[in-house]
Amino acid sequence: MMPLVMAPQGEEQMIKRIGGSEEVKRHLQELGFVPGGHVTVVNEIGGNLIINVKESRVAVDKQLAQKLFI
Amino acid sequence: MGIRIALAGNPNCGKTTLFNALTGSNQFVGNWPGVTVEYKEGKYKGDKEVKIVDLPGIYSLSPYTLEEVVSRNYLIDEKPEAIINVIDGTNLERNLYLTTQIVELGIPVVIAINMMDVVEKNGDKINTKKLSEEIGVPVIEISALKNRGLKDIVDAAVKAAKEALPQSPKHRFDGSVEHALAHIEELCLHNVEDENVQRWYSIKLFERDEKIQEKLGLSEETVNHIEKDIASCEKELDDDAESIITGERYNYIGTIIDGCVKKAKKGLTTSDKIDRIVTNRFLALPIFAVVMFLVYFVSVTTVGSWATDWANDGVFGDGWHLFAIGSADYNDAVDKYNEADLIIVGYDLYCEGNGEGPTGDFKYPVEDEETAAVEYRTATHEDYVEAMEYINSHEVPEPEDYGVWIPGIPVFVESGLDAIKCNDAVKGLILDGIVAGVGAVLGFVPQILVLFIFLAFLEACGYMARVAFIMDRIFRKFGLSGKSFIPMLIGTGCGIPGIMASRTIENDRDRKMTIMTTTFIPCGAKLPFIAMVAGAIFGGAAWVAPSAYFLGIFAIITSGIMLKKTKIFAGDPAPFVMELPAYHWPTLSNVLRSMWERGWSFIKKAGTIILLSTIVVWFTTFFGFTPDGFRMLEEEEIGMSILASIGKGLSWIFIPLGFGDWEATVASITGLVAKENIVGTLAIIYGAAGDVYETMRAAFTDASGFAFLAFNLLCAPCFAAMGAIKREMNNTKWFWRAIGYQCGFAWVIGLIIYQVGKLFTGEGFTVGTVFGIAAIACLLYGLFRKDKYAN
Repeated sequence: MMPLVMAPQGEEQMIKRIGGSEEVKRHLQELGFVPGGHVTVVNEIGGNLIINVKESRVAVDKQLAQKLFI
Repeated sequence: MGIRIALAGNPNCGKTTLFNALTGSNQFVGNWPGVTVEYKEGKYKGDKEVKIVDLPGIYSLSPYTLEEVVSRNYLIDEKPEAIINVIDGTNLERNLYLTTQIVELGIPVVIAINMMDVVEKNGDKINTKKLSEEIGVPVIEISALKNRGLKDIVDAAVKAAKEALPQSPKHRFDGSVEHALAHIEELCLHNVEDENVQRWYSIKLFERDEKIQEKLGLSEETVNHIEKDIASCEKELDDDAESIITGERYNYIGTIIDGCVKKAKKGLTTSDKIDRIVTNRFLALPIFAVVMFLVYFVSVTTVGSWATDWANDGVFGDGWHLFAIGSADYNDAVDKYNEADLIIVGYDLYCEGNGEGPTGDFKYPVEDEETAAVEYRTATHEDYVEAMEYINSHEVPEPEDYGVWIPGIPVFVESGLDAIKCNDAVKGLILDGIVAGVGAVLGFVPQILVLFIFLAFLEACGYMARVAFIMDRIFRKFGLSGKSFIPMLIGTGCGIPGIMASRTIENDRDRKMTIMTTTFIPCGAKLPFIAMVAGAIFGGAAWVAPSAYFLGIFAIITSGIMLKKTKIFAGDPAPFVMELPAYHWPTLSNVLRSMWERGWSFIKKAGTIILLSTIVVWFTTFFGFTPDGFRMLEEEEIGMSILASIGKGLSWIFIPLGFGDWEATVASITGLVAKENIVGTLAIIYGAAGDVYETMRAAFTDASGFAFLAFNLLCAPCFAAMGAIKREMNNTKWFWRAIGYQCGFAWVIGLIIYQVGKLFTGEGFTVGTVFGIAAIACLLYGLFRKDKYAN
């Protein structure tokens, strides 16, 4: 398992675990980040990611991207 | 009785476009009681008996954001007759997550799959019939943008409302969850009148939703009892209750999607491709800079400033030339005529002073209207002869001779009042109070509208969300959002649209912080005042103007850092997660509608406060107790006005700042009407004694002059901007907090500048210096103290 920050751009990844506080976790889940779900990193600026998840694009900052494990 | 239909859906699913398409202009826009979340309702174009309520965009019905709470309270308590669940067809899976919760509410639901035109263009296929069977509610394909399926969806909703069949969700959770739910229902919900909503309540209780526990008035005993069920279920499935529910919902959606949707191809969408470039790590900032330059160039320097000049100097000034035809010629003629006139004045002054005419060159004074600066130019005897000839051969230029001249409203009103021989006091009230007040409100509207077109476009096309992403890392450091950049940039032109641009910031705390700090940046109206101080007190030094901007930036950064450590702004900054909507071309009507809504809300909400304050300041300026009793004053008699008495009463506040005299205090007060008024007021007050700039220089030292400048740049903005703050805060307490903070901060900075500045201008160390240094220490403490609210 490694954090999503380290994933190469443009490749589909499966989320294995979501860390972080309850609130953050819940919000990520509402946006479609669930264990077993697939995501693709579209772009990265200084650790901040744009992720394609369930057909939508979601921007997350570095701190958060480190809590998404693949 | 009419039918109420609620529109519910994710942010960016096209809900607002649908709402506009359904209701046209029959809209009411307001706020939900007590919160800043926007409330919109309207009547359906096809049937006035059908009322449509646009709920805020939400991802789920959990109780964690204001939007969610507002939406779900409306749905549970007000029980609309039907819900249209709007779904983005290009993003079914995520959108259906909300759907699975909405169908549990027991209210008739119809699903509108929006953006079908895009779905078809992508070559994807959605089997709506099967989808409808799976979920158990009617599903209609629509495209709000292309006006497709709109009648169908409302008809379906009306039909569902009339049948009022109890909605029961087809989805069932895992056996052990269902067991717990059944237990909860039995234990706590037998009193709930509406059976249909029981399932929703039981799921929420399973998720330990405190707001629902409260609402149902559960005893601690009951809560503990169901807690056992929940805990055992959690143990069995090895996850927390909320995650169990979320996971199961997504699994359920996954199975539905597999059976109903055929994707044409995988790979990057158009939006992904655009994002590859626009948010690229090398190109993002240059592209951002270009976009911002365009916004600034058009809405602040060119079109925006023409619009403001036209509205302030034309419509609410002397008047204007239709289509500006003839304006340039007229201005040339006026300049020439004035120049000639001034040369003659200079010649006459020389004659008066020397008792004879000049034999060679002589000087003549030229006053700058905006800054009241007087410059002496040299003229030769030939110039004088030419000037005399010009004056003798030309009439005073009349604007009517150069094009179609439309007189300004004040001119028009004044001539009307003169015609009926109106009393001077009433005339003053109408012209300088009411008309000027209305002008202060409406004068900014054209520029605001220009700016709002841009903002609406940037928001609707999807770029605004990217701006937040690109700038967030920098602004997050001092408690602001990436989107705060735009209000501040706009604020360099005018603080009012700047404050209003803060609306695009979703996070409540970030938005309030932005509203409080935006007006620290010097706006266009402060420039004449800055120029005046630079010219009069600092001999036209070039560093004064840039220092005003640095002061503004410094104020924003320090305020951001200090405020985010205070209790009212306490809490971790929300981690940055946001959806980036797909790029698309907005429709003209939606952009214009958004522009108009915001502009109108400014006129309505900010207008009253601006008008009232202008009238009050007018009254106190033009009335006073003179040796011959209380009466209306001439402009030059401002020293006897009520305002001057107020100034004398308040001036002690500014003694520590070095300008504790009534003149400076009164100028600061009139600056509240409009910042450029400071120049006018000072010109009247100091002009009585001769040269304005010389008198002003004598009244201030370097240190007190700069403190005066700093205080007026940072303190409460003009009434119009305060009106905008009130409108955007939508909360009286927060409005006063913002104004209070701005004035307090300005005072402290003024104190530091004056007291510490005195050290450098050779006035030596005094008791005041100690206070100045103490103020710096307080500031540093505010900046570097530990943030006890951060985790």
